[in-house]
Amino acid sequence: MISAKDIVSRAAPLLACLGLLVIWQVGSLALQNDSVPTALEALRAIPAIMGDKEALINILASLRRMAIGFSIAVLLSIPLGLLMGRNRFVAAFFNPLLMVIYPVPKAALMPIIMLWIGVGDLSKTLVIFLGVSLPVIYHSFEGAKAVQEKMLWSGAAMGLSAAERMVRIVLPAALPEILTGCRTGLVLALITMVTSEMIARQSGAGNILFNALDMGQYDTVFAMIIVIGAMGICFDALFELLRARLVKWSEPQFDMPLSFS
Amino acid sequence: MTTRAISVDIALGLVPLALLVLLWQGLVSFGYAPPTLLPPPGLVFMRLINRLSTFTYQQEIAATLFRLFTGFLVAVLLGVGIGLAAAVSRPVNAIVRPMVRVLAPLPKVALYPALLLLLGFGHESKIMLVAADALFPILLSTYYGASTVEQKLIWSALAAGTSPRDVVFKVVLPAAAPSILTGCRIGLVISCIVVFLAEMITSTDGLGHVLVTAARTFQAVDMFVPLITISLLGLSLNGLLQILRTYLLRGFPEV
Repeated sequence: MISAKDIVSRAAPLLACLGLLVIWQVGSLALQNDSVPTALEALRAIPAIMGDKEALINILASLRRMAIGFSIAVLLSIPLGLLMGRNRFVAAFFNPLLMVIYPVPKAALMPIIMLWIGVGDLSKTLVIFLGVSLPVIYHSFEGAKAVQEKMLWSGAAMGLSAAERMVRIVLPAALPEILTGCRTGLVLALITMVTSEMIARQSGAGNILFNALDMGQYDTVFAMIIVIGAMGICFDALFELLRARLVKWSEPQFDMPLSFS
Repeated sequence: MTTRAISVDIALGLVPLALLVLLWQGLVSFGYAPPTLLPPPGLVFMRLINRLSTFTYQQEIAATLFRLFTGFLVAVLLGVGIGLAAAVSRPVNAIVRPMVRVLAPLPKVALYPALLLLLGFGHESKIMLVAADALFPILLSTYYGASTVEQKLIWSALAAGTSPRDVVFKVVLPAAAPSILTGCRIGLVISCIVVFLAEMITSTDGLGHVLVTAARTFQAVDMFVPLITISLLGLSLNGLLQILRTYLLRGFPEV
């Protein structure tokens, strides 16, 4: 039995999207600014982009780079983060290096990497990989650090080897935190993807966006913003579904505001 | 941890940094990378020190820092305010939750062209971008921290005669402080990244602009200098935040 309240809470993000578009529409009508099209005009420009074969290939190429960079980063970062969380020496070894690299915008490395390995797929995927790995390492590290010693001792007492303890105790216990890191990584992957393509104007979604800006095709600019934004929201929603399946047991119960009575 | 263990940790931590510089030097010395593409580290660090002492470069740093701080401050004020409000009030919660769900995963850099067209090429558009990107980690961690405050604490304060408004500022806010500060730390790193990117896209000053100018003229040495500068800035800002954290959270069981 689905109650009316349930339907409202499910549809809330959609309503928020609609609300934002309405605010945009009203705002642009009020501004009367030639360079800011109304929401409807921007939405109308989307089919033109999606129908263009070249643009579609461009966007798909972006997504492929993002998927490859993201997957490799996640696969390498989780083991490293977990090791850092459980072994003090590994943590001491890598922490300063990571702290030095963290505040450097990875997309800003693009001009240098381009000099070395060209403007092709490899350099962009590498930049995405770098952007995603840091938050994933950091969160896996924090997650693994917070695992209760008791559980590890019990595991050891029952004859699990160090590697088995890592896979069967530390990994599941740190999973909620790891997935938080992956979620940040996903957003960062999208950001790095757009900016790397903005810097190496060759192909991709970021290329379409910033070329349109330079050429003054403002409805294309805003239509691309909607497309990229929709990508972000869709990925996040898909990831949330996956996360809910994997770590349902640790779901925090703070949907309700605090009570003051 | 004893002082000896800490110094062992520091020594261990310096190893990869030293290895990195060694590898860098090795690549250049053994001729794997031509110096025009990868200048030797000594040259880069000399250049960095050289540039840091010039007034023009200091001005670039000041421009970047100004945007970074203003944006970050806006994000902290809005993030903590909205996060607290969403945790204590049902109607605000009903509006903020779906909005955040939609806006948080949005890549804000894609919004930058829109901000440019709306706010112009000056400070405003960059500050807005920094604020928009740093806002969500701070908002989410404030909300998380405030919602997980023990209900017992609030009831006790209310029973002791504190008004609900005072409870928010005297009980909920301090209890949520560790989580808020963690969010601020993430927001700060993101601010560093975003301010640099915004300056790379369009700017006439700032560290990002220095990098772009160097890239356009293929001055590899000058490309490394702003990157190292932003890394150092990020490190020192992080250190400052850590000091603030230990000060604010004195008396908390675990920092």
